[in-house]
Amino acid sequence: MSGTSSAVAVDVVTAFFDGYRDQDVERMVELCTENADFHYIPFELWGRQRVIRGDGKVGTIGKVIWTTLIDSFPDITNKIMSITADDQGNVATEVMISGTQAKPFGMIGSLGLHYDLPHVFLFRVGKEGLIEEITAYWDTADWQRQLGWLEVD
Amino acid sequence: MNSLDIPRTFFARMDARDTNGVLALVTPHAKVTLFPLNLQGDVEEVGRRYLEQLVSAFPDLSVRVRRLFIGNDDTAVAEVTITGTQAADFFGIINQEKLMDLDQVWFLHINDGAIDRIKAYWCQNRLYRRLGVKRLDHFTITA
Repeated sequence: MSGTSSAVAVDVVTAFFDGYRDQDVERMVELCTENADFHYIPFELWGRQRVIRGDGKVGTIGKVIWTTLIDSFPDITNKIMSITADDQGNVATEVMISGTQAKPFGMIGSLGLHYDLPHVFLFRVGKEGLIEEITAYWDTADWQRQLGWLEVD
Repeated sequence: MNSLDIPRTFFARMDARDTNGVLALVTPHAKVTLFPLNLQGDVEEVGRRYLEQLVSAFPDLSVRVRRLFIGNDDTAVAEVTITGTQAADFFGIINQEKLMDLDQVWFLHINDGAIDRIKAYWCQNRLYRRLGVKRLDHFTITA
């Protein structure tokens, strides 16, 4: 296991959310290893021929999703509600993410509505003090309801 | 039973559809919060209701732990995947006999060898999609 102390892991994760709050995607990416894995579990875009999922690397799909979210929700912000970590580099955070929609995001057209959505982010932080893996959970149904979009797909 | 044994047993009993066995690991007035269902309350009310509906609606339920660790505040954090074929209504979702798979994350706070606080997160939209629901404002209507 390529872990690190819980204090170091909590510090890097806190810095990650500081960067997200500042809408500094480059800083968020710099806190991750070059090959860091990225899993946004609820993220599914269903097309006629295929399903696009939020699985890949921070440097590719993660960076694109964060940039697109900030573009669609220009006042997007976050508040860490709880954080816990072990000494193997595992960190779990409950985070409230909020924002007001200014542009469509995926299938969700913009009605200019505000949302406050509970998230869980799980991280694995390596010995070098960089994030090696990010996994996130939220409820898209709750998000869509707050944004006025009631179609399941 | 060490700290990791408690969450492992919790999910093993859920996998075995042993509701009373799951609840036996939890203190009587433990607070349960199931964010996607907007449910919060004592384990004997909210926890039992969720487990009983789950095993009733999905009689072939399977619960698989994908990742488990315990944080320095004695909270066990578990990523699990539940799968099953719907055989009865589930929190208002009409049974269309569809197969569902759902990734969840659970927080189980452990104190003196028992779980005294539970939180769970998942994407209810994904569950709706798997079970054939078309609209969030009419999730009991399927066509």
